Amino acid sequence: MAGPPIANQIRRLRFEHGEMTQSELAERIGMTRQTVAAIEAGKYSPSLEAAFRISRVFGAALEDVFQWTEVD
Amino acid sequence: MSFREMSAWITLTSVLACFGVYFGSLATGQVRAPSFATLHLLLLCVSALVALQIGLHAVAARFAPKAARAVRDEREQLIQMRARGLGYYVLMAGVLALAIPGHMEGTKIDLLNFALLDVVVATLVVSAAQIVMFRRGV
Repeated sequence: MAGPPIANQIRRLRFEHGEMTQSELAERIGMTRQTVAAIEAGKYSPSLEAAFRISRVFGAALEDVFQWTEVD
Repeated sequence: MSFREMSAWITLTSVLACFGVYFGSLATGQVRAPSFATLHLLLLCVSALVALQIGLHAVAARFAPKAARAVRDEREQLIQMRARGLGYYVLMAGVLALAIPGHMEGTKIDLLNFALLDVVVATLVVSAAQIVMFRRGV
């Protein structure tokens, strides 16, 4: 099954933020670790609210965390 | 495995086991409907299903107490919604298919059992769809 055309930098950002675990990130945004793993793997596109929550955890802009990858 | 996926597995296996015994006994002629033996078997299977669901969910919750208490997050809600959508179509198809025994020589008990089978199959589809979506991603 093709994933959504959205790339993300969550793995790198977690590593840069004290090697934050998926569980820690999940707890901070009110989701399960499995959902964070699915987002990180590009298997699930989070809602806009969840995307903003993730960006805020890393103190980054939304587009620094998520990028649209589909070529027009 | 998340608590919700474990819950879907519990439902899938316990429904399959309990109603497998019931419908298996009917199909092999070990019990014949209508009879008190069939009614007793049905009540026994439903009781076993309730006990299994409560017991296995309690065990699963002991391994993941926080996840068991937490509300479903957005992905879990989406998976539940899509799985129930599939189950709805199965349920509707089954209800329409009830016309077959209804217009043939089916007894009231036959109709009841077909309706019950429809509910069971729809429940299995919902659980299986949840497991697939948890595994493959949404």
